[in-house]
Order: sequence, then structure tokens, then C-alpha cells
Amino acid sequence: MNASSVVTAAQRVAQWRSAALPWISLAALAALPFLLPSPNFVRLLFTTFLWVTASIAWNLLGGFAGQVSFGFVFYGMGAYATALLMNAGVHPIPAFMASAVTAALVSLIVGVPAFRLRGPYFAIATIGISEAVRVVMTNLRFTGGASGYRIVEHRPFRQLEHYYSALLLAAIAFAISALLVHAKFGLGLQAIRQDEDAAADLGVNPYTYKLAVHALAAALTGIAGGVFARYAAFIHPGGVFGFHTSVHILLMPVIGGIGTVWGPVLGGFVFGIVEEEIVASFPQVHLLIYGTLLILIILFEPGGILGGLGKLFRRFRGKR
Amino acid sequence: MENANVPILQVERITRYFGGLAAVKDVSFEVRKGQIFGFIGPNGAGKTTLFSMIAGALKPSSGRIRSWGRDITGVRPFKLIKLGIARTHQVVRPFREMTVLENVQVAAHFGKNAITSTAAARERAVKVLRSAGIDQLANYPASILSVGHQKRLEIARALATDPDLLLCDEICGGLTHSETLEMLQLLRRIRDHGTTVMYVEHDVKAITSVCDRIMVLNYGRKLAEGTPEHIQNDQAVIEAYLGTRATGKS
Repeated sequence: MNASSVVTAAQRVAQWRSAALPWISLAALAALPFLLPSPNFVRLLFTTFLWVTASIAWNLLGGFAGQVSFGFVFYGMGAYATALLMNAGVHPIPAFMASAVTAALVSLIVGVPAFRLRGPYFAIATIGISEAVRVVMTNLRFTGGASGYRIVEHRPFRQLEHYYSALLLAAIAFAISALLVHAKFGLGLQAIRQDEDAAADLGVNPYTYKLAVHALAAALTGIAGGVFARYAAFIHPGGVFGFHTSVHILLMPVIGGIGTVWGPVLGGFVFGIVEEEIVASFPQVHLLIYGTLLILIILFEPGGILGGLGKLFRRFRGKR
Repeated sequence: MENANVPILQVERITRYFGGLAAVKDVSFEVRKGQIFGFIGPNGAGKTTLFSMIAGALKPSSGRIRSWGRDITGVRPFKLIKLGIARTHQVVRPFREMTVLENVQVAAHFGKNAITSTAAARERAVKVLRSAGIDQLANYPASILSVGHQKRLEIARALATDPDLLLCDEICGGLTHSETLEMLQLLRRIRDHGTTVMYVEHDVKAITSVCDRIMVLNYGRKLAEGTPEHIQNDQAVIEAYLGTRATGKS
């Protein structure tokens, strides 16, 4: 009786803490530009939020549902959709929404055939699609092909506006992921990852669920691409559609802890903050570094940072 | 849809070939609402093939399967659930990274009634876990359960989908004697709560003690069908299971 009430009290504290952590983090990040008003620092955090968004989105599909994608072309799709619409005079917010819709539609084109097959075929198909899209965009005349596309916004540039739109987007992505994980949709996805046949035997339709989460992940990533394009004011296929972009998006949740709520956030922050430094220091071999990192994580700590921290925490507690 | 004169499950001349070999040949039977209907047979008799066809996991080469008169031949498992037909697996397949409660919650969410609310699905899951006798394990990861408890979880998951017809595949395999008795008791309780049960097992004792009606398969064909007493005294069944006597005397 006494012991059980102690447990529930401790659980309540833990629950309260896990509910408060996102809000505290959000408030701190919202205040940060005023505490450290350096344009370069604000820009670094801005791109980090976009990486975090893409990381969370990839994890919905790859982490929760277990469908590994090597071709997140949605970042580029969103970037180009926003760019074209903004140059046509559309306000950024509807342009971002259009990016989400465009990316979700493209996700169906990939998913409808690929999800009919079991096993690694979806992953293989995504590689093919991402290369095909990059080649098409490199040769597409009206977007400037390989030389890229410039966005002209007839509004004064305010960095904080960009900062907060990226932060809001990351917060929305996090909220979706955190609310999803214990809800019907999230449980269905996780059931599919753990045993697709058993899930189907309990009434889950694996095909439509995979399509749905693919579209959701694409929409979030598409908006991130749009927000990026608006800030960068210049995009080119080798950047937003580059294979390395897809690899980055996959790498972050793996670094942080795949299939968890906080893992992709952690991975996104770590990656976002060190990425530029790594590219600047090792311009020739930075992809090699990522590849090595990926192999090391998979070999020694498949749970990523979060899994490693959990183990350390348990060991520390066990010793005492 | 329910009509007392129409069987909840009706199998008509079902046949399945693997290559040139008929694993199941021209088998017909009916299951009535409220029964525990069992089928037995020696190894290789075609039990699993027949079961898989009814559960929608395998397409028959010919023949029809109906539920309440509606053709369900080749209907996929996730659709059968919505029609009130659920199955368990011989080799248990829990979602290992989920808790016991979450395992059953998935079933409640996606079952016949498709509960959307998390709280309602949890409530239903707890209720089902209690009736399966494993509610004390609700918050443990499914991967740490013993075989006996995993079999119960397998049944609890199927029950949480709120089936009218429960297909059970060798749920007593690998269980101790007392666990088997408890499991059979659970099957009776499920039937008494209004769920019709179709039960496949090769343990004759388990089947005859719990079933209202039994069908015997041998070499893919129906050998006999009737009440447990009838089956136990059927000469063809005794021969299939025990072989013919070497001498004429008993």
C-alpha cells in the first residue's frame, strides 16, 4: 500500500518532468536570440531547427514504422515548390503549405508501388527515385537546371522571422511525434515495424499505414525545405536534392536514437551544430566521416546517444 | 447479419495444392455460433494449411469459405478482423519492444470496433488482460514473459479485437499439464462469453476435453466429424491415430 503510493508519486513526478521538458526547451530556444544576438549564431540555430524537423520526420517513417528511406527528396521538393510560388507572388505561408502538399503527393508516387513489396525494396526504390529526381531537376529548364534558382522576396529581410518560423515548425514536428507515439496511429506504426504479419492479424492495414506516415513525414520535410529556400533565397539541385542531404536526414535519428521521441531531436541538434564545422574542416572527406560514424553506431550503440545515455544512467544507478 | 440458421463459419469443398500434392482435399464443415469446434489430425494431416486458409493467410486452390453466409474466401487478415474473425499463432508473435498492455491496446485500437481513444483502448486492454489472467504483467515488456504467459497474451490480443469467431492454432503446444488445463478453462470461458471458437491441436486429450464438436483430418481429407464421444469410438479415427491391431484380440 505504502510502497505503491510511493511509486505513483515518483511516476507522477516523472510524468510531470517529461511533460515540462519540451515547454522549457521551447521557451529557452525562443529566448536565445535575445540572450545571444549574433546573426551567425541565430542562423546556425535556424538551420539546426530545420535539420531537427527533417530528423523527426524521417524517424516517423524509419524509426516508428521501420521503413528506411535513403531518398528524402521531399526537402528539395518543398524548397522548389516554395521558391516557384514565392516568385509568382504567393505569400510565404501558403507557399509552405503548398510545399507540404507537393511533398506528400510525391511521397505517394514513391510509396504506392514500393510499399506493395516487402523487405528492402522500399529502401532500394528510394535511392533510385532520389537520383532520378536530382537528374531531372538538374536538367529542368524553367528552374534554371543545375545553375540553381533564385528567390526574390519583396519584403524586408528579418532574420528573427525566419528563426521563429523554423522553431515553430520544429515544435510542431516534435508535438506530432510525441503525441503520436502512444496514440493509435503511432502504435499501429510500431506494430508494423515489430511484426508486420502479426499487426495485420490484429486489424492494422500495413499498406495504408505506411503510405500515411510516408506522406506525413514528406509534408513536414517539405515545409522544412520551403523555409530553408525562403531564407537561402537561392537553391540548386546539387544541394537540396543531393544524395548527401538524404544521408544527413537519415544520419540524425540514428545518431540520436532511432525509434524514440527525443533521439531525433538530440541527433538533429548535434548534427546541426557540428555539421558546418565538419564540412569546413574536412571538405573532401566529410561524407567519409559520416559513413564511419554510421557504421560505428550501428555496431556498438544501435540505440544512439539516447540508448548510450540510458545505459550509462542505469550503470551509474546500479553501482550505487 | 446474425441468423441462427446460418453457420458462423462454413467451409465448402476446400482444396489446396502445393505443387502436385494436395495438402487439403475437398474438406467441408460448418461451425455453429457458441461452439468450440476442434480439428485434429496426425502430423502432416493438413491442419495448419486448412487453418491458414480460413485465417486468410493462404489462398485455397478451390472451394469457398463463408461467414454468416458471406463469402470470405481470400479476404486478407486485417479485413477479417473487421468482420469479427481473429486468430492466434502457434508460434507466439508478441510485439517484443512493447509492453504487454500496449500489445493488447494495439488490438483494441484496430479491432472490430476500431477504438480511436487511447484511454478507451487501454481500458479495454486492461479488461481483456484481466480475463486472460495476466493483468499483473501489464506494464512489463512482452519479451520477458514465459511461454505460458506469451500464449495467454496471444489470446488476449486476439480477444481485444472483439471477435465473434476466434481461431486458435495449437495454443497448448509447449505448455505443462497444469498450464494446459488452465488454457482449456480459458477457452471455455471465452465460449461462455459468446465467442465461437475454432481450435486446432494435435493433442487429442486436450481437444476432446474442451470441444463441442470435432473434425478429424488425415492425409488432407476429412476422416470423421462428430461429438467427442463419437470421435473417440470411431474405428477409422482409432486406426489413423493408433494403427491397426497386430492381433485380433484385445
